Amino acid sequence: MSVKIDSANSLSGKSFLNYLLRLMKHIDFTLIFLVIGLCILGLLVIYSTTHQEIINVGVALITKKHLLSIFTGLLFCILVTIIDYHAIAKIAVPLYFLSLIILVYVIFFGKDIAGSRRWIQVAGFEFQPAEFAKITLIILLADFLSREMDKFSNLIYFTLPFLFTGILMFLIYKQPDLGTSMVFLAITLFMIFIAGISWKYIIIVFFLLVSFFPIFWSFLKGYQRSRLLLFLNPEMDPLGAGYNIIQSKVAIGSGGLFGQGLFSGIQSQLKFLPAQHTDFVFAVIGEELGFMGALLLISLFILILWKGIRIAQEASDSLGTFIATGVTSFMFIHILINIGMSMGLMPATGLPLPFVSYGGTFMITNFIGIGLLLNVHLRSIFA
Amino acid sequence: MFNQKSKKIGKEVTKKRLNDLFILITLCFVVILINLWYLQIIKGKEFEQRAINNCIRSLVEEAPRGEVYDEQGRLLVTNRPAVNFSIIPAEVSDYKSLVDDLSTIVPIDSSNIVEKIRSKRLNPFQALTIKRDLEKDKIVLIEEQKYKFKGTLLTVQPERKYLYQNLAAHMLGYVNEISEEELKIPTFNHLTGGDVIGKVGLERYYDSYLRGEKGNKEVEVDALGREVTTIRVLKPIAGNDIYLTLNSELQQFIEKQMFDKNGAVIVSEPFTGRILAMDSHPDYNPNIFTEQLTVTQWQEIAQNKDNVLNNRNIQSVYPPGSVFKLITAIAALEEGVVNKNSKVYCPGYYQLGNLLFKCWKEHGHGNQAIVEAIANSCNVFFYTIGQKLGIDKLNYYASLMGFGEKIGIDLPGEQEGLLPSEDWKRKTINEQWYPGDTVNLSIGQGFLLVTPLQIHNMLCLIANDGLYLRLHNVEKIISQSGEIIREFKPELIKKIDISQETFRIIKEGMKKVVESGTGRLANIEEVKIAGKTGTAQNPQGENHAWFIGFAPYDKPEICVTILVENGGDGSAAAAPVAAKIIQKYFQLKNNKIVKNEQF
Repeated sequence: MSVKIDSANSLSGKSFLNYLLRLMKHIDFTLIFLVIGLCILGLLVIYSTTHQEIINVGVALITKKHLLSIFTGLLFCILVTIIDYHAIAKIAVPLYFLSLIILVYVIFFGKDIAGSRRWIQVAGFEFQPAEFAKITLIILLADFLSREMDKFSNLIYFTLPFLFTGILMFLIYKQPDLGTSMVFLAITLFMIFIAGISWKYIIIVFFLLVSFFPIFWSFLKGYQRSRLLLFLNPEMDPLGAGYNIIQSKVAIGSGGLFGQGLFSGIQSQLKFLPAQHTDFVFAVIGEELGFMGALLLISLFILILWKGIRIAQEASDSLGTFIATGVTSFMFIHILINIGMSMGLMPATGLPLPFVSYGGTFMITNFIGIGLLLNVHLRSIFA
Repeated sequence: MFNQKSKKIGKEVTKKRLNDLFILITLCFVVILINLWYLQIIKGKEFEQRAINNCIRSLVEEAPRGEVYDEQGRLLVTNRPAVNFSIIPAEVSDYKSLVDDLSTIVPIDSSNIVEKIRSKRLNPFQALTIKRDLEKDKIVLIEEQKYKFKGTLLTVQPERKYLYQNLAAHMLGYVNEISEEELKIPTFNHLTGGDVIGKVGLERYYDSYLRGEKGNKEVEVDALGREVTTIRVLKPIAGNDIYLTLNSELQQFIEKQMFDKNGAVIVSEPFTGRILAMDSHPDYNPNIFTEQLTVTQWQEIAQNKDNVLNNRNIQSVYPPGSVFKLITAIAALEEGVVNKNSKVYCPGYYQLGNLLFKCWKEHGHGNQAIVEAIANSCNVFFYTIGQKLGIDKLNYYASLMGFGEKIGIDLPGEQEGLLPSEDWKRKTINEQWYPGDTVNLSIGQGFLLVTPLQIHNMLCLIANDGLYLRLHNVEKIISQSGEIIREFKPELIKKIDISQETFRIIKEGMKKVVESGTGRLANIEEVKIAGKTGTAQNPQGENHAWFIGFAPYDKPEICVTILVENGGDGSAAAAPVAAKIIQKYFQLKNNKIVKNEQF
């Protein structure tokens, strides 16, 4: 059993080195290469959109910062891979409460950027605690589900995961960040689905969500409502909130089969397209690299998700299964919403694209997710 | 503890569900790919075209400012169409070469443009005017080299036009683009850089009425800047028209009289407070500001040693000299220091301790009662009664008559002047008030500083026997649909607490000034004028000449205040001008009556 590896921590330096060599031998390199492929694609596109002089930022600074977050992410990834996920799951509850505390702190003392408090500063680095909270939620739910999944016929046990998520969602909604709080709900729903709840419950949850919609609607802020409405009809306000969606669609459409080439997208280079290196990075890929570029990107994503599903299925225990499921569904929901939004298929919620969008915290979170997948994979082999 | 069996079943369900999840994932991506195919391959050409065409521009349509009319409905200020050169900041990639190319055609100030572009409240798709009012040949040149000016456009916008050039320039004011500092003023917080506002004068004071609301036109243009479709049009709303109390014919006449002098003239109706004319010389042509001034042009005007831009009536302060003797006389009569018949002997000087204050007449006026003293402007008489009154009493009556504070006319930038008091001197100069200071103040010299408007206000109070009416320049404000937005009826602020008998005596003295005293040069046949001369000592140079007067003496219709800077003697330099103005006023009035009778 996996406990064996844990006990290898009665470590002399040599046995630890052996341990690392063993990890290296069995690690899933395909997954790593897929991720690195995505990162390179992201780097190219970010450089393409930001290589022009940007006021107050300077040439290529964004690309350099992006590269730095990739390397930081890799470090976190290695770290998370080394520590056995059972050991991580043991501190799931403290991690969860730590997230809650930090998120409360953010609401009151976070850095205010464009009306939202999402950032805090630690040792000179700024990060978004909501991103890390995704990981802690995945671990907490995995830990809970792996132990209690049999008791789901009991309504109290069934509602507990929603309670864990609900608190986080509320705190993040307060920042306010509607898109991210929706990701939490999606992760929870996917994990419970995998836990095997009966279809009866699935239908109940579905109807509950639908009937809660009017209440949810009343909680939305004006701009959030208009975004949802604009998703239905972007031409309603072509220069205001609908502008982004229209410009993004035009950008993607104008890419054609092979794209207009890096550094030559009309929409991207002339800055018609907003938030090009963050939320609308897919539109730049669509415009500059065309259908083929987008196909390459989507293929990489599908392969990574497929890997995630396989790892979940082959995990040595249900804890591993749930961790892998959580990570996979977290990435999936980001990819789906981001690409869907860029193409006008989903409301504009401002979720970044994993491994491609600019943004340090999100990049690191994704690498931690990959670390967890590698971790679960390794322990399934050792078992 | 779970039993192994249920655990195994659970595991199986999980595996199956994971397969389901992957099917869901695959389905989602299939939908995305189909959409992508549709967007990029099937609709690709169309979108590509749209991307090229896709330049949504927001064109501001400036609202024409309200027009300005004089008392008789004569149009003074209007708007004319002008061609402006604008840029769409989002479409210009290289400002430097653009500015360089443009500067080969028209003189421009490149630092100014960069500053404007950096201005924070700027929509990158909104046209920003960088050169106003291009001449015809320049327009042709720009059109010829259009390929050089990507992301720019020429627009026709209303520009301010002052039909009579310099006429009443200081009163009317001028317009120009809002400055960075002005953008911070709360009144203007809905404006953006490049917007035109009233800068000074009535243009500024009534800016919110005159400005109107700018319109906006959102259009999609192609890469060459041609309009493809109009998305949204918001028509500009023209500003309201203003009807002044100004009589432009009288104003023109006055300006002719003053053309070779530096100074100020105010003419108003005492019983209504309507200002009929207000002139400040030297003057300027407000039309020059609608063309964009370069920095050097601006500096030339702003640093002009004669302070061209100053409205001397309200923004410059002077010692009032002998016209202030009327205040001393009022105070003395009210306080019972003298009565109509008390006489003071003038030997040509007044001795205070070992100080000797001279009368302007070397050998003295002999015995003088108050009416004669006003007529002859006898210094010794006023030294004597001023000394008896003391500073506190003088200060009290002067402030009662409006000195030391703003009159509150409808023009921006009015000065308060300086009405000294014992307290003031102790606090600012850190010196006690000497009896000699009182002696100086009683003839309007020393620390005292006044604006011509304050003097005029005093004149009106005397003419009105103490009724304090608000002086104003505007008769009514009328919207484009003809609706009266505001009307300015004569407004009685208060009645000054001074006896009618005092005013009667003062007026009698003022009548004598013109009949037989220092203001004899203002004596005309048509109408009886009451007045007062003043010759204010000016440490910087030649004395300033004052004359104030109203007519007719028994039933005042018009008050005139004249200041001629460095004009020398008030009786010689200012009084004759006043007489001509009053003559002109009655002549215009009679013409009007004759005209009306003809109908």
